[in-house]
Amino acid sequence: MTEKFLQELEKLTNELIDMAHLAQDMLDDSVRSLKDQNVDLAREVVCKKTELAEMDVNIEQHAFRMIALYQPMAKDMRRVACALKLITYLNRIGRYGKDIANVTIEISNKPHVAKMVSLPHMSKMVRSMVDDAIEAYKSEDISRLDDFADRDDDVDAMRHSIFRECLSYMMEDPSYIVRCTHYVMIARYLERCADHACKMAEKITYMKTGEHIEIEKKSESTPEYCPVRKQGGGLTI
Amino acid sequence: MVRKDNAMEVKDLNLWYDDNHALIDVNMRYPRYRVTALIGPSGCGKSTLIRTLNRMNDVIVGCRVEGTIFYNDNDIYKSQMDVIDLRSRVGMIFQKPNPFPKSIFENIAYGPRVHGITSKRELEKIVIRSLKQAYLFDEVKDRLNESALGLSGGQQQRLCIARALAVEPEILLMDEPTSALDPLATTKIEDLIFELKKRYTVIIVTHNMQQAARVSDYTGFMYLGKMIETGMTKQIFEKPKEELTENYITGRFG
Repeated sequence: MTEKFLQELEKLTNELIDMAHLAQDMLDDSVRSLKDQNVDLAREVVCKKTELAEMDVNIEQHAFRMIALYQPMAKDMRRVACALKLITYLNRIGRYGKDIANVTIEISNKPHVAKMVSLPHMSKMVRSMVDDAIEAYKSEDISRLDDFADRDDDVDAMRHSIFRECLSYMMEDPSYIVRCTHYVMIARYLERCADHACKMAEKITYMKTGEHIEIEKKSESTPEYCPVRKQGGGLTI
Repeated sequence: MVRKDNAMEVKDLNLWYDDNHALIDVNMRYPRYRVTALIGPSGCGKSTLIRTLNRMNDVIVGCRVEGTIFYNDNDIYKSQMDVIDLRSRVGMIFQKPNPFPKSIFENIAYGPRVHGITSKRELEKIVIRSLKQAYLFDEVKDRLNESALGLSGGQQQRLCIARALAVEPEILLMDEPTSALDPLATTKIEDLIFELKKRYTVIIVTHNMQQAARVSDYTGFMYLGKMIETGMTKQIFEKPKEELTENYITGRFG
């Protein structure tokens, strides 16, 4: 029975990696379609949402079957449980790709307000975080997750930078407002994808070590931002 | 001195069956009003260990014990322990239900009678109380004078539990109490164990790891006569410290 279970576990891992690739491709292609104003590519991304949803359901069912039939314990249980969490995050990442592709279709009628550099760069940063998370899940080498807090902060900094850049365009020319609002939204979607990559890293760390960790944004981990609650209630700042 | 929150404590226990060193330097505590599970592959010494706790191994020719088992600050092997009294306080339920070939009533009343209770009224009270504690009373209240052998397997096992409860033990030892039962009967016994631990300390040997994870608060993993790891059940089954423990509970061996 163990051999059969291990085969199922390997199959589950491969299915998850396939879903990760699909979600990443949807995100990459959507940003590329945006940059190149390629409506056909954007439509392809949107159409992939069905395949993504099917993978989500199939992997979930597979994990449930494994739990019911094999009742895994310890590291095996953590691995299956981790897969159940990861598919949710990957599904969100892929759907953000779909949302970005929809924006491409909507604003393809006019050129971009400037050469698009920041958003593709931000997308590459996010992609590398998701890549490292999936590789850590596959290989159980969690050392590649050590700098996720810093990388998440870098992605946040990019979002703020894009926001300020868009503000200046909008103040310069009100006809840019609609387009720039979309750029700000897309930056937010990419930031959320990085947050999901961090959540993936947390779950993968738990899978490997059995310890729960939290990858915190540096800005939110200071006492000034989050006042410490003293014993017995009340806040101290 | 044994901590008050431990019902029993085993220290440096070694046991031989003739030349076979069956238990090797075993140390373990059994917290009061908790369920402690013993798991491990066949032949690892789980049943041998549990049988030392009420000196059932005394009846085995060639069995020799060294070390200490504390019960109420007394070493049960070294002091002038009344073994009969010990076995009423540390009751045992076996894998195969073993009701006496008597009526349901007489099965339960037998133990108290042996301990000197002769009043019919008192015995009736004890029988009803014990059957209720074992969640069997409602199923048999109208046939207490019928043979216990007519009960189903699950009912017989609950009868055996009631029989052990009738002599008011402090600790219940259960050696694979559900391995001979169907899934529904197993569920009933597990539910019963949840209730029993409110008033008794339970020590259970089981091959079923999921059962150990479900019913117990603490778990000890044994292998080849040694206690490899003990701890809270949640920790043992979620992130065991020893690789051997993890390999066993994930089915890599055993």
